Amino acid sequence: MPYPMQLGFQDATSPIMEELMYFHDHTLMIVFLISSLVLYVLILMLTTKLTHTSTMDAQEVETIWTILPAIILVLIALPSLRILYMMDEIFNPYLTVKAMGHQWYWSYEYTDYEDLSFDSYMVPTQDLNPGQLRLLEVDNRVVLPMELPIRMLISSEDVLHAWTVPSLGLKADAVPGRLNQATLTSTRPGVYFGQCSEICGSNHSFMPIVLEMSTLKYFENWSHMMQT
Amino acid sequence: MSAPVLAKPQLRGLLAKRLRFHIIAAFILSLGCANLYKFGVAEPRKKAYQDFYKKYDAVKDFQEMYQAGVFQYENK
Repeated sequence: MPYPMQLGFQDATSPIMEELMYFHDHTLMIVFLISSLVLYVLILMLTTKLTHTSTMDAQEVETIWTILPAIILVLIALPSLRILYMMDEIFNPYLTVKAMGHQWYWSYEYTDYEDLSFDSYMVPTQDLNPGQLRLLEVDNRVVLPMELPIRMLISSEDVLHAWTVPSLGLKADAVPGRLNQATLTSTRPGVYFGQCSEICGSNHSFMPIVLEMSTLKYFENWSHMMQT
Repeated sequence: MSAPVLAKPQLRGLLAKRLRFHIIAAFILSLGCANLYKFGVAEPRKKAYQDFYKKYDAVKDFQEMYQAGVFQYENK
């Protein structure tokens, strides 16, 4: 979950999010490289009275500052494409869960084995218990087994929404009339939060997502309890 | 009776000399910044994740969380 004065990403809870964090570090390193170079050259230009009054061309430096950025872009693109393809690998999910966006709540359907579906509304601020998180808690959490690949099918019953869980590196648009697929694998148990990420009306900020990643036994017991 | 003559100062190539020196310095500085970030932040982060998962017991962690009341439902 996010915390005050946070600067970086939330801790990664899936292998893909870890890869994304490392890629971000790689790209930010390149950003610092270029920014420090540009800043140094800028200060250099501003702190001299010396000029070159007869510049006609600069073929050598033009070549360098064309080739070098091209190399840098390739160094960014290759890891990026690697992760992109990693996200789409065949993964044989153990479970499929449908997340349907509504104005302004999510509904979830677990229909692999039996028929289980429920709505997940945000807990209003005045109804929160001490210690609960404002604008993040929901009445019915999405309970899922940890360490297993799960297929999420995301869609919408009305307008565009987006189903997001930052610590798992997941974000997919909920488009009416379309099914978007995301793969969810959590390496750790716990409670993970997300918020709707596509403007969908007045309560767009008030339809959060809460995942409970648990052992398979807890998940089975919960599933059985939810149906009765 | 002539006074001693000073050596003729360097009058040409001042900008080129400055540029050559500082461009090299700029590249060294920027590569240094990049390496500082890489070895100060990026590599320790990778190591931290590796070390965390080396001896991580997810089931034990779940049970500790369950005992602490993190989860919504009373079941196991």
